[in-house]
Amino acid sequence: MYPGTPFDAPLSALLASLSSVGDALAIPLAATGTGAGTTAATSAPEAAVVLALVALPFLGAALTPFVYRLLGERTAYFAASVALACLALVAMLYGSEGLIEIPWIPALGVSLAFYVDGLSLLISFLASGVGVLILAYSGGYMHDEPGKTRYYATLLAFMGSMLGVALAADLVALFVFWELTSVSSFLLIGHYRETDSGRYAARKSLLITVAGGLFMLVAFLLLNTVSARALGEPTFLLIGAPDSLIANTDAVRTTLRETGLFVPVLALIGVGAAAKSAQVPLHIWLPNAMEAPTPVSAFLHSATMVKAGVYLVGRFRPLLVGEEWTLAFAVLGLLTMTVTAMLAVGATDIKELLAYSTASHLGLIIAGFAFASVLGAETGAFHILNHALFKAALFLVAGIVSHEAGTRVISELGGLRRDLPVTAAITAVAALSMAGLPPFNGFYSKELLFETTYEAAHAAGGLWWVFPVVAVFGSVFTFLYSIRFLWLFVGEKPDSLGEVHSPPLVMLVPPAVLALLVVAVSAVPQFFVDNLVGSVVASAVPGEAHGFEVYIPTELSPPVLMSVITIAAGIALSPVYDRLHDGVRYLSSVRSISPNWYYDAGIEVFQSIVSTGLVARAQNGLLRTYAVWVLAAVSALALGGYVAGGVSLPTFSGTSLSLPIIIVLGVAVVGAVAVAVAPSHIAGVLTLSILGFMVALFYLLASAPDLALTQLTVETLVLVVFLLVLDRLPTFYGKISTVRAARDAVLAGVVGITVFTTVLVSTAATPEEPIYTFFVERAPLPDGGGGGNVVNVILVDFRAFDTMGEISVVAMAALSVMTLIAMRERGETQ
Amino acid sequence: MTQFVLAVVLGTLFALGTFLVLRRDVVRVVWGVVIVTQAANVYLVTMGGLSGVAPIVPGHGEAVTATAVTDPLVQALVLTAIVISLGTTAFALVLTYRIYEEHGTIDLFELGRRDEGDGGNEGGTEDFARSVADGGERCTADDSENETRTTSENESGRSEASVGG
Repeated sequence: MYPGTPFDAPLSALLASLSSVGDALAIPLAATGTGAGTTAATSAPEAAVVLALVALPFLGAALTPFVYRLLGERTAYFAASVALACLALVAMLYGSEGLIEIPWIPALGVSLAFYVDGLSLLISFLASGVGVLILAYSGGYMHDEPGKTRYYATLLAFMGSMLGVALAADLVALFVFWELTSVSSFLLIGHYRETDSGRYAARKSLLITVAGGLFMLVAFLLLNTVSARALGEPTFLLIGAPDSLIANTDAVRTTLRETGLFVPVLALIGVGAAAKSAQVPLHIWLPNAMEAPTPVSAFLHSATMVKAGVYLVGRFRPLLVGEEWTLAFAVLGLLTMTVTAMLAVGATDIKELLAYSTASHLGLIIAGFAFASVLGAETGAFHILNHALFKAALFLVAGIVSHEAGTRVISELGGLRRDLPVTAAITAVAALSMAGLPPFNGFYSKELLFETTYEAAHAAGGLWWVFPVVAVFGSVFTFLYSIRFLWLFVGEKPDSLGEVHSPPLVMLVPPAVLALLVVAVSAVPQFFVDNLVGSVVASAVPGEAHGFEVYIPTELSPPVLMSVITIAAGIALSPVYDRLHDGVRYLSSVRSISPNWYYDAGIEVFQSIVSTGLVARAQNGLLRTYAVWVLAAVSALALGGYVAGGVSLPTFSGTSLSLPIIIVLGVAVVGAVAVAVAPSHIAGVLTLSILGFMVALFYLLASAPDLALTQLTVETLVLVVFLLVLDRLPTFYGKISTVRAARDAVLAGVVGITVFTTVLVSTAATPEEPIYTFFVERAPLPDGGGGGNVVNVILVDFRAFDTMGEISVVAMAALSVMTLIAMRERGETQ
Repeated sequence: MTQFVLAVVLGTLFALGTFLVLRRDVVRVVWGVVIVTQAANVYLVTMGGLSGVAPIVPGHGEAVTATAVTDPLVQALVLTAIVISLGTTAFALVLTYRIYEEHGTIDLFELGRRDEGDGGNEGGTEDFARSVADGGERCTADDSENETRTTSENESGRSEASVGG
């Protein structure tokens, strides 16, 4: 441990947790409920609670099909209660910190490790808490929709994966859960399988987020390699133990710099986070993801899954923060914040508006984490909470609007406050918070961002002044679209809009709860900061004081001035909203600056040229094509392996074989050649038998009487079967073209050389202690097998299960033969 | 002990087997698989060392030293493999027979093309089976090569016609 690192304090708690893991694991999961209530400040988390938390949603997902049969529509409440149980488990973990480790692949140093701290708890709170509301809301929204079993099971599985992402302390475990969230997101976006747009959107999100995850995996592997140099042995453990990466930040960082891998690792992690959190230019999947049912958009694509990238940035911040870090993520975050805020102004659909707005706010969080000051981490941490609350509420409002008004097109909506008064009130709270107006909670986190950028620019000067300017510029657009969203509820109701019904209670309560939480955070921000957000900052900024203060400013400091400018400009530009809207639409239709166009063009190239070409060459339905690819690949890999391994061929040293064996083998080869050039099926089968009988003789001469007997029997049977079948087949034999024969001969030659080399290399080696001595020594003993014929003893005693498998194969073959011959007139041909 | 002779023999057998696997006649493909199987078995036995006497030890209930006998483990493996190869060979042959019954040909090129051209195997098979039933005759095994070819062509022509109609 280094003096001055933040791990001195929790170290004792952590060691205690390590030693208690073994005991806690012995507790069956059913007993978790009884262990509750022992949470004290920064105690070690209970292993059983953490494991139950991650396992419970998956268990719920597995049970969903059965529950659906019993409960039908009310499966939503089952799913919501699973989420509620998770929320309770998270609440039990509140205040604890520490590591829980279960060996997974010990040989590679991979473990299923979970780490509980402020950041992981906040994300877990969001995943399970918002999960409860969303799943309950789904009960109303998904009424009469298809595929409900699939829907609830996937949502629960997603929740489990998200909790896994939040809690994972091992890089491999983190990657697995990370990709699981991508897969469940894919399934949920493609919920309406029949629509082209749904399939397009699902594929797009999968390609972008999973590809981003692979970049991240490369970074993890690089870190693993670097840790071997920095810490003596490789580790995948990110945090929570004395030998983890973050506990040895200085050593890891020095080694990263020495090997020149610091920037690559940073960039790879950045790509992973940007793909997941929809940062420019990888943001394009998020608007399409709105094809998913609205509860999914609210849950995955605003409150939780897209936070995974942000979480990654926050998690790696202590390890990698520095100049490059600030530059990369500040540019990425502020660029995203501004560009997507403008795109949100250009949106025509309420969900599209919210999608771009989500990307924009994620940019704000990333930008916050980018800056090296504590203020930056405070910005990111606080806005994770604020954004999840108001954005999930707004999405649920969007769901109500589209459900009750029947349209999501912005220009067709207006004056909804009369029909949907409660919804309008919820929207007012959430939208004003999103706009960053005081005294709502969105104001506090935006103010923190302004302060961060201002302080950074003030300290560094020069070009850094771009950051506060861009922050203000982006916020103006945020203000504009937030107000536009609110305007759906005020003004005149267009005539084209028909009757708007009131939403059912189950759809109204969840957004109302979220709006109340927004009000609560707005009213007493300091309470939430002290109890929830402060510890998140501690995760992202080791060694700094936990708490920070938020309040409504009373004097005119520079950040306050920035807020004033934002709001004033927003109000001033509101009348020309439509022109801005048109302008953004025009800009985003320009091909060369549209990432969407590049994506579509790339996919088109892959689809029409690469995959078509590949299928025609590798999967064309001809057996020989498949055989060629497999044989050539195996030969190339084997020969390449020999070359790479530096295997040398043994020199010719004569032969120890007796003359009879050589003669028998010679006849066998002649028989095989005769098969290859046989002019008719009958001639081929008879010469094939010569080969078979010669092999039987070889076994006899090689001191293998059992093999010889079996081979003779089988060879006779095969000959009979061949003759019986050939009797019913046409005497067809294709003419071989010379070119094709020459090409096949080349491949056959390569395969022959591969086998030749392999036999030479493998027979040149002599094992020190052959395994077979065990069998020979034990076979005659009464407790070993009690038989003189060692081969038989092996077959019926030592390896009896193998023999049973062999008999099953023969039985299956016999059954298949029966089916193919005797049941021709049944089944599909009738 | 490095086995040069066996290396040459096994290389040749594998090469011949590979060449046969690449043929368009299904029966030849089966032969190729059989040859490769035989060669693989011989290779396994070769790995046992080819020295020593048969692994049959005297004396029930008495421990023996293992140095004199040849490796019984590879023999047990190969014995299993031989029996399984009987099963797979028989299955492959019957499959060939069934393919001929269903498609009227054992030419892999033609089967592959038909797969592509008809845009799906199932439809083609059904139509073909129906047209066979309509015709009221089945190609018998005694047909000479030419006759079989003609019948098969007629039938595939008819099957296309029924698709068109």
